[in-house]
Amino acid sequence: MKNKLVPTGEMTLGPFFPREFAQGASDRTALDGKPAKGEAIEISGRVTQVDGKALDNVVLEIWQADAEGRYDNPEFLGWGRAATNADGVFSFKTIRPKGPQGRKAHVNFLVLYSGLMRQLQTVMFFEDSDDPVLNSVKHRERLIAKKSGPHAYRFDIRLRGEGETPFFDD
Amino acid sequence: MQHAVISMQYAIEPRPAGTQSQGVEPGYAHTANRWPAQPLERRPHSASELSGPGSLLRRLAPVRGDLAGYGDKRAIGQLIHLRARVVDEDGTPVPGALVEVWHCNAAGKYIHPSDSNDAPADPNFYGAARVVAGDSGLVELRTIKPGAYPVPDSGGWWRPPHIHFSVWGRVWLSRLVTQMFFQDEPLNEHDAILNAIREPEARSRCIARLAPTAKGPADALVYEYQLVVRGRKAAPSL
Repeated sequence: MKNKLVPTGEMTLGPFFPREFAQGASDRTALDGKPAKGEAIEISGRVTQVDGKALDNVVLEIWQADAEGRYDNPEFLGWGRAATNADGVFSFKTIRPKGPQGRKAHVNFLVLYSGLMRQLQTVMFFEDSDDPVLNSVKHRERLIAKKSGPHAYRFDIRLRGEGETPFFDD
Repeated sequence: MQHAVISMQYAIEPRPAGTQSQGVEPGYAHTANRWPAQPLERRPHSASELSGPGSLLRRLAPVRGDLAGYGDKRAIGQLIHLRARVVDEDGTPVPGALVEVWHCNAAGKYIHPSDSNDAPADPNFYGAARVVAGDSGLVELRTIKPGAYPVPDSGGWWRPPHIHFSVWGRVWLSRLVTQMFFQDEPLNEHDAILNAIREPEARSRCIARLAPTAKGPADALVYEYQLVVRGRKAAPSL
């Protein structure tokens, strides 16, 4: 049996992540000009730190299933990236996913930022549901997005402090 | 190329504590404003966490495998040739791994609106690349060695020369964002980010090694490095 290698230590993204890398990947509603199947939605939110201050240029990545609960659909890319603006607000355009087998509908979020020594993982749900990951956290209501329009959801992320978002260590 | 991979036979296991920052670092003030105060939660893994985008290249085009340039477009600084291998916890190469790289110029200046350091920009150096690992997990980058720079309002903290990496492994939970340091840099000893890795051996693996000069191109110093992304083949159930 091979010796197990230790994963490389994670370190902060720092304040100088190239702007061009943070742009152009927040819209998942079409691939190569072809619209993806399913309900097109917008997910937006605001990222804040301990004192409630909104954070600029936070990098968020998402990973989600398609409208049929698949991760290997060649016509839909479930990965996206966006950065917050000066008001701490981010926005993704995507397709409302279906939960894959054994799971309810959700979107995985990854938060990268200056001062975050490791990536922070969290999950957004569309409604309160019997999902094993949602069931594993104390403050489940903080992982449930608020409906903010017919096809729009709001998912605020509080890194630290009052109303702190639950994050995962895997 | 398959558009996405699902690797339920892949396992992501907890990491030894001393090999990772614990989040709040005394020498880095922002960590206490931003790292969660509540303990991180554990969760069961499903296809959602153990799958990942298999062909991100359709969306993220490779850019500039060469940051140094040639002739009158050559960036100022010590030319280096970096050979970094992307492997998983089994030591198995991750061919096709997408790798983003960024670093400051030889004077310690980033081309970024947030960089207030009063150091000169180099018109021939931009400092960002996106490359893809080859069959043996190897990523090669021709660039110049970055300089050190002071961190504003930090009471004298200087960042040692370092290169930022953002790497995709086989699955969502393999995502790695880190920084690579250089051998024998005196500032390494005092850096709050490198030293957040408490275990000396794990810390030393974050430092690139100078290869024998005979191994590389005549005009560049060769540095070798290994990026270990999370995940390994799950043990077969008995």
